[in-house]
Amino acid sequence: MTLNTEKRPPLDYDVMIVGAGVAGMEAAASMGDMGYRVLLVEKNASIGGRAILLSKVFPTLDCASCVVTPKMASVSHHPNVQLMTYSEIDGISRKADGSFDVALHRKAAYVDFDACTGCGKCAEICTVTVPDQYNYDLVTRRIAHIPFPQAVPKKSVITRRGEAPCTFTCPGNVKASGYVSLVRAGRYKEAFNLHLENAPLVGSLSRACYAPCESDCTRGEKEGTLHIRGIKRFMADRYYAEHPEPEYGPVENRLDTRVAIVGSGPAGLSAAFYLARQGHQVTIFEAEKEPGGMLRTAIPAYRLPEDVVDRDIKNVTALGVDIKTGYRITSLPELKQQGFNATLIATGASDENGLDIDGHDLEGVMGCMHFLHEVNIGKLPDVKNKIVMVIGGGNSAMDPARAAIRMGAGKVMINYRRGRKEMPAHDWEIEGAADEGVELMLMSAPIRFIGLNGKLVAVECISMELGEPDESGRRRPIPVKGSERVISVDMAILAIGLLPSTAHFPADMKNGKGLLLSDPQTLQTSDPDVFACGDCVTAPTMIINAIAQGRRAAFYMDRHLKGESLNVPFDGVIEKTDKSIVLEEARHFVERQPVQQPMLSIDERRKTFECYEQPMTEAEARQEAQRCMNCGECSQCMECVSVCAPQCIDFAQKPIPLSLNVGTVVMSTGFGILNPATKPLLGYDKFADVISGPQMDRLLAPTRPYNAVLRPSDGKEPESIAFVLCVGSRDHTVCNPLCCRIGCMYSMKQAQLAMGALPMADITIYTIDVRAFGKGYNEFYEQSKSMGIEFVKGKVARIEQLGNGNLALHYEDMLGKGGRNIREHDLVVLTVGFLPNTNALALYKGSELAADDFGYVREIDPISEPTRTNVDGLFVAGTAIGVMDIPDTVLHSGAAAAQAAAYLERMRGR
Amino acid sequence: MSNTPTTRLRDMLDIAQDEMIMRDRIADILEQGPRTIPEISQALGYPTREVTVWLFGMRRYSMVEEIGRADMDGYFQYELKKQSDPA
Repeated sequence: MTLNTEKRPPLDYDVMIVGAGVAGMEAAASMGDMGYRVLLVEKNASIGGRAILLSKVFPTLDCASCVVTPKMASVSHHPNVQLMTYSEIDGISRKADGSFDVALHRKAAYVDFDACTGCGKCAEICTVTVPDQYNYDLVTRRIAHIPFPQAVPKKSVITRRGEAPCTFTCPGNVKASGYVSLVRAGRYKEAFNLHLENAPLVGSLSRACYAPCESDCTRGEKEGTLHIRGIKRFMADRYYAEHPEPEYGPVENRLDTRVAIVGSGPAGLSAAFYLARQGHQVTIFEAEKEPGGMLRTAIPAYRLPEDVVDRDIKNVTALGVDIKTGYRITSLPELKQQGFNATLIATGASDENGLDIDGHDLEGVMGCMHFLHEVNIGKLPDVKNKIVMVIGGGNSAMDPARAAIRMGAGKVMINYRRGRKEMPAHDWEIEGAADEGVELMLMSAPIRFIGLNGKLVAVECISMELGEPDESGRRRPIPVKGSERVISVDMAILAIGLLPSTAHFPADMKNGKGLLLSDPQTLQTSDPDVFACGDCVTAPTMIINAIAQGRRAAFYMDRHLKGESLNVPFDGVIEKTDKSIVLEEARHFVERQPVQQPMLSIDERRKTFECYEQPMTEAEARQEAQRCMNCGECSQCMECVSVCAPQCIDFAQKPIPLSLNVGTVVMSTGFGILNPATKPLLGYDKFADVISGPQMDRLLAPTRPYNAVLRPSDGKEPESIAFVLCVGSRDHTVCNPLCCRIGCMYSMKQAQLAMGALPMADITIYTIDVRAFGKGYNEFYEQSKSMGIEFVKGKVARIEQLGNGNLALHYEDMLGKGGRNIREHDLVVLTVGFLPNTNALALYKGSELAADDFGYVREIDPISEPTRTNVDGLFVAGTAIGVMDIPDTVLHSGAAAAQAAAYLERMRGR
Repeated sequence: MSNTPTTRLRDMLDIAQDEMIMRDRIADILEQGPRTIPEISQALGYPTREVTVWLFGMRRYSMVEEIGRADMDGYFQYELKKQSDPA
């Protein structure tokens, strides 16, 4: 073929070699030695392929590490070879000039490889455990891990599938997956401290958060969502019991900058916490007598006790934050005059919507915030034996209704103008209220408060019906004429919406609804030194939203005060994990029912403001945390960060896409291993002591997963080991008619090694025929027989487990007495067949990279031009064309290197 | 003669996810002295296969170690590994 070599741009590399097993390393070293610039791409975190995981190699019984690691070191230090591990090819296409365009990406390892020393501390402390694929699932590894002891490069990687749905869903990006993982691991203090990184009011959230995390828990699609808030409650209660005071004080490097925060609700406290941690001097101004905002004044003690709020606030004040209570700010310029460099307005939304109907000013008609404020400061309104009507259907209606029940009201009803399913309150809130005796008066609205001597005595209501949807999407309630009726009521509590508490601020800072105007990203107002966040900006929402806003405001205020650009993103959140992948992976998991949250009985709840949710015990909390499915793989517990001395963990890493132009490509993409479970009669996925050949190699390797050659079922040294050859090779039932070429030899190798490790064990190899065709192979076979390894010519049909746990092999005896026979063993190794790596074929784009009849990459002329594929300039090396032993792989790779070099020279016109 | 279970082995990932809790329970058992895997299994009330997975996870991260050689029945005893004094 003639190549168009005119005006060819310089190549990034002369050759790219895909796959860094034995073949790839050999080809890379050869071409590097010839002086070509080589890029060696490996999708795994280490080079070495499957060979580095072997025990020894046949027939010499040389240590596999001793054979492979010099090659690994050679390519990793070769001046002409550039290693790119943990990288994947996205596409290869051939250009008219004969070179190749390559799209690839370096995967995010979340570790700075340049800084990582390979100490492994991150793996030791990591809290998520998964099967170790480098030990073929015989043992576990951690999510933060170095692939194996001889890895090159010896660097940790952390695998992340995405953000866990619970964490992703939390408005504050509180790492629920992280603290759940830490509680599961028994590290409660670390769990608490992790929470502080995103939200300082841990106790309050553990009692009163609406827990959006739970609504998106993947376990919810199986046996029921994790009770994440219950786990948090355990964590917070335990930490506060052990630490009545925070363990820290003001930061050492305090700055001269002074920040005023108006309002000490969750948004203001949160902002103060994070600003103070940056060293700013923070003063909070609070109009009430006590700090806490709505946490203290609007949430009843049966949900959020005052002492929990107090302890949460200590998390903030311990940093040196000054809270001035009883101090209402009415002038922002005044704060500037006092020397504050910046101000944050976080006044919340505690003003109330009124109901402009007759009698609204009667004694006995009040707003829900007023009612709850009175209750929370101990001025309990007298509702004993009285009839209380709460008007509204949101969560703010539930609290006064349930509080009134506890205060001994004779009857409490919630009057809502739409139906049950339209109620904005959470279902569990409505159910809780109903359980406690609150009556729901649905499709009803008050039209008049009726008084006697200035005091409320009744409410005239009218029935409603639902019409067309309004602007909120809910069906509009329409009064039903003639349905008016009068209901005796002693107290009416209005819970029909809250308004931002912004009356004192200039009109040009607000919109028509009274909400403060601030940039949605930075929360900066039109005055660069003034920021605004929380409910006074967003309208009333959840506590965690306000806390999240406070942290966001602190982030941008800190930058503003330091003179840094605000044009930077806030939180680095990656994509949410696809739940369907997690559920598919967990389809065979055992069932794990939720731990039932301990609760006070309904009778007790009606009499007391004590928290009706009782805390989980330590065992319950850990058991509930154990239900976590580790959706994101890495839980984001951040323990690795805390122990990494060179500080190389970097969760901001993203995949790095690259486009390269290379002169030629060598595909050394290896082979796949047949899953022995595809032969169900052999019991691989039923009996723990039926293992695969690759697993046996790991048991025999010096870096083995166990301390000796042991049975996976119970850690016992086996006494009778069977090797069953040709499992899934030469087998049309699994569409794999090929002889695997190496099964006989590697089984004999394993048998000899097992005899060395277990001198008293009986070793039997069940074989159809023995294929020992290479140099020294037949001698190795003879040696195996002379060592006492028994070869049984027979096809194994079925494996069953006996009552003693041992395994019965049913086989056809082709010699001896012939016929069907049964033998007992206590460990069975299935010598599995191998498969083509069909993923390799898909890497080449534009036309088809041809495969042979079995799915391996096809050599167009294996006799005269081995390694050439149907794509000119793209070569194949090693087992990508079919399984072969290591010597043949090395030879074939040398041929590929020679072919690739010749192509490069031809392309250069030499 | 045969006693073949028709169900699959418990999923390895499912077992692995229990390790963080089970290692503490196994450590509590080993606090009382060295044990074989069947002995730990009996004390813990979980199958030996699962204990094998958890125990060797602990061994991998230097929490436990084996003692000497296997006993007459072919089982090793394991004990908590003495943690080096950070001082």
